Amino acid sequence: MSQPNNINKKLDELKIKIEWFYSDDFDLSKATKEYKNTIDLAKEIEKDLTSMKNEIKVLAEDFN
Amino acid sequence: MPEQTYTVSDFQAVCNQILDNAFAGVIIEGEVASFKINQGKFVFFDLKDESSSIGCFMMQFALRFPIEDGMRIRVKATPKITTWGKFSLTIQAIVPVGEGSLKKSFELLKKKLHTEGLFDPAKKRPLPTDLAKIGVISSTQAAGYADFCKILNERWGGLEVQVAHTQVQGISAADQIIRALKYFNEHSEVQIIAIIRGGGSADDLAVFNDEQLVRAIAASKVPIITGIGHEIDESLSDLAADLIASTPSNAAQMLTKDKRAEISNLYSELQRTARLLDDKLSAIIRDNRREIDATSRALITKVTTFEDSVKSYIQIVEQLNPEKVLERGYALISGKIAIGSIIQVITSSKQIQAEVKNVTTK
Repeated sequence: MSQPNNINKKLDELKIKIEWFYSDDFDLSKATKEYKNTIDLAKEIEKDLTSMKNEIKVLAEDFN
Repeated sequence: MPEQTYTVSDFQAVCNQILDNAFAGVIIEGEVASFKINQGKFVFFDLKDESSSIGCFMMQFALRFPIEDGMRIRVKATPKITTWGKFSLTIQAIVPVGEGSLKKSFELLKKKLHTEGLFDPAKKRPLPTDLAKIGVISSTQAAGYADFCKILNERWGGLEVQVAHTQVQGISAADQIIRALKYFNEHSEVQIIAIIRGGGSADDLAVFNDEQLVRAIAASKVPIITGIGHEIDESLSDLAADLIASTPSNAAQMLTKDKRAEISNLYSELQRTARLLDDKLSAIIRDNRREIDATSRALITKVTTFEDSVKSYIQIVEQLNPEKVLERGYALISGKIAIGSIIQVITSSKQIQAEVKNVTTK
């Protein structure tokens, strides 16, 4: 299961991939492959987001 | 059996022992009268109702709410007979009670702490980025805590949440919350602390106006978000915190992104990118087609020009054809030009043999 930091890294990575299509670096010959990679990453993020669970732990310390 | 005889001091000590066993930490509610602070550290006042009054003593540092004559308060105290034989209460904790007293106490402390800069907006810290570890201070039995966890789990995952179970109302709650704050500041790596408590009466929420608690919140090294009560409730703890949520659920919303919205945004972005890609491909095809059309037009022009040139040449060559000259009425003559000789004459339609009869020079 991905941790939030990993998810945030993947979201950042996805943002960079999407920005490439809008940038001057855009290259038609690479576009199809890049778009497929972007879709794959988006699916991975969706899977991570859907499966991630929070770990809620009540501390044993007595604050009384 | 001989009757037991006490010294005055022994009897006073025995009475205090009995009082301590029977009433240590007794909770009493009443109205403040004759409030005074001696030497800046000893607090004296009377706690009274319609028919009775008891003298009270406490140390000034234990006074967690501003108190004035006429205020209704609830005290946690131990009754005692002093060496002068006076019955009094040694106060451990005080909370104001009733709307008027709470409001008065709130305003007095708010003014004092504001002057000290505890609520300075410039000191507020933002929500940490890449939030992974959250400390929560709440009663795990409270509805507000359940709401907080529900919204947190619905919206995001993968978070490590450490919960310090404390009372969130009553006379001991402030100290418990302060100890939990100390724990998170000194013994954990949480990135933010959420103080959570659902709605309640003004008396229930009074703990969050405790001076020491407000100071502990303002001094926390770890940023603090409060989600206390309902939208309309404002506590001094809220004012001292870095972030204020209107309710426990709102605190969970502020701490997390919504994964459903995140997934939806993700696919909207991809659709937008797909449209962009389609537009770029169409533009490239359009540009190429224009180039092909221009090249084609240039080629046709060149071919036409070449055809015209060829036609001109053909016309010139055709004009030089001897047959064309003959057609214009001329004749071609061959043979020796001398009197009596036979010469060949060719016209456009005939071949003639003729005899030369005369020759003169032009």
